Amino acid sequence: MKLKDGGSKAWVVLWGILPLFLFVGFTGGVAWSDNSFCLGCHQDDSLKKEDARGKTVSLSVSEAVFKNSVHRKLSCSDCHTHIKDDAHAGGGKKAADKSVNCATCHGKAEKEYQQGLHAKMIMKGTERAAYCFDCHGKHNILPSKNPKSMTHVSNIDRTCNRCHSDVEFVKHHALGAAIPKEEFKKSVHGKTGEMTCTSCHGSHNLRSLIDPKSTIFRSNIPQTCGSCHPDITKEFTESVHGVLAARGRSDSPTCTTCHGFHGIKAKVDPDSPVNERRIALTTCPQCHAAERIAKEYKITTLPVKSYYDSFHGLSYRGGDTYSANCASCHGVHDIRPSSDLKSMIHKDNLQKTCGNCHPGASENFAKGKMHAVASITGEEFGEKVVGWVRIVYIILIVTVIGGMILFNFTDWLRKTIDHRP
Amino acid sequence: MTKKYLRMTLNERFQHLNLFINFTILVITGFVLKFPEAFWASPITDIPMGMTLRGFLHRLCGVAIVTLGGYHVLYCAFTERGRGIIKDMIPGLKDAKDLWETLKNNLFINRPAKELKMGRFNFREKLEYLGLIWGTIVMTVTGFILWFKTEWLLYFPMWTYNVALAVHYYEAILATLTIIVWHLYSVVWNPEVYPMSWAWITGHLTEHEMELEHGLELEKIKAGEKGKLVEFGEAAAVGGGRVYPLHQERGEKGISIRRLYGTIKGLNETIKNWKGE
Repeated sequence: MKLKDGGSKAWVVLWGILPLFLFVGFTGGVAWSDNSFCLGCHQDDSLKKEDARGKTVSLSVSEAVFKNSVHRKLSCSDCHTHIKDDAHAGGGKKAADKSVNCATCHGKAEKEYQQGLHAKMIMKGTERAAYCFDCHGKHNILPSKNPKSMTHVSNIDRTCNRCHSDVEFVKHHALGAAIPKEEFKKSVHGKTGEMTCTSCHGSHNLRSLIDPKSTIFRSNIPQTCGSCHPDITKEFTESVHGVLAARGRSDSPTCTTCHGFHGIKAKVDPDSPVNERRIALTTCPQCHAAERIAKEYKITTLPVKSYYDSFHGLSYRGGDTYSANCASCHGVHDIRPSSDLKSMIHKDNLQKTCGNCHPGASENFAKGKMHAVASITGEEFGEKVVGWVRIVYIILIVTVIGGMILFNFTDWLRKTIDHRP
Repeated sequence: MTKKYLRMTLNERFQHLNLFINFTILVITGFVLKFPEAFWASPITDIPMGMTLRGFLHRLCGVAIVTLGGYHVLYCAFTERGRGIIKDMIPGLKDAKDLWETLKNNLFINRPAKELKMGRFNFREKLEYLGLIWGTIVMTVTGFILWFKTEWLLYFPMWTYNVALAVHYYEAILATLTIIVWHLYSVVWNPEVYPMSWAWITGHLTEHEMELEHGLELEKIKAGEKGKLVEFGEAAAVGGGRVYPLHQERGEKGISIRRLYGTIKGLNETIKNWKGE
């Protein structure tokens, strides 16, 4: 009623737009058709073709799966825009350009993807680099909040590992022997169930390790970890290691240098590199006992050596966990040089630091060289004295014990000779 | 039955056993700290809290040895036998000569070998006893500095602690090697006594052993015995030729080391008689 009376305008609009649809419809061929038109052929399980490489590709599409997907309201031709008409079936290998452009709707994701590593690998002509559908699926795409979705947080590791835990793939792409699957599963992050590959690596804009914009680029790692551990990142960025890392020093440690990568474990885990049993045996010495680092940064490897020879180090090496390790005196994330007023080993703070374990530590605790090495040519008086004590005692031991051995040897010789039958 | 000569009373044997056990534990628990990765350290380093236990044992045995040292000082001061030991232990020129002549004998410089007659304690034993005193003092002083580090550093600078640490370590090497090279040669590897001198268990030496090591003492004993035989003919025979004078244990009242010693001495005699017959 309303239309007839005063709705002439609506009719004008309708008659104006209808030819447009018709025009598009005719040129597009199958565009107008209902999905059932396509599914009429493609629901057939046995529908196959051979692709350019001679592989057999199934062309069947399950209607039920598609009806469940997030795209269920779209028609086939919304995505398969290049398929003009039903003549594609007879046209041979090249006739059907089935390429789908997700960017038509998902422009933002596409833009991010184009900057990412997977897109770059595709541009280089890599055969097995992830397209949209490799991670999201094809006709079965579900929203990532759906627990059955390939991109649901609980499924992402499986999605990524379809390629990244394949030994052949990893070898071919020069990813070393790194198969993060098992390592990550056992890690403290993997066990939470809330963390997955994309939490650190990013998703669409996932970048290469050597890309400075990558979340896993060396100097970006503290920020990446800091998205969940902000306090620690703040401590670390102010530390001597953090400052050097921010300057781009590749020798300076970052989170992963001490904690590991995919297999990060809780510090109570004996396998963790930051377990108290391993800090002073492997984790700190990996750099501080390395000549390369020592030479470059004008630090010596002596602190590690002198620690191992000190009571703390000796008892630690024997398995004592009450004994001080590197972190007991130097701190953990906020390690600062001794010249820094806030440093635990600054001379004004040293008495307090020693007092943590030695209640009532006097001023004398903080005086003198800590990582002293006994030597008669030492810098410090104490080092020289101990050096001399050592030499005097060695001479004493050699002469006394040597003399005893000689004397007893002659005694033994004489007695055995006398007792010869 | 060969004649036996009392070398160590039961009391002294217990002192020796005490020293033996504590010294061994101290050596093991000490060197485990210095060489924590050595294969022989693994029984301690492999068990949980092993190093803590090690430290505790080391201190415990240290205290035990210091206590034993204190007891030994009292023993030497307040018993007649103890005073006798000290008197016979004082080194003299004769000991240096004995050592020198032994060396010349051993190297066939003295031809024929000179017969050496040594006293109750020969130069070997005197050297070792003095070394033991020296070592115990050094290890006790440095050991307590290391133990009570916080208190020590109230009054002394850090380098004194480091010196104590170094001295404790090197003195330990010296002491351990001395025991292995000097003492164990005297009582184990010495072909005269091999496989072992049993005096530390039985408490006595045979006449042959006395002749070899303590000729002068043997002569002295025999001279004394003659006199004794005249004086108390029968009593000496009951003693089985044991010649060191016994205390008069009766008549003393209250607790005294003399009395305690007398009691132990009596026990000692009983055990020995039971073993000997």
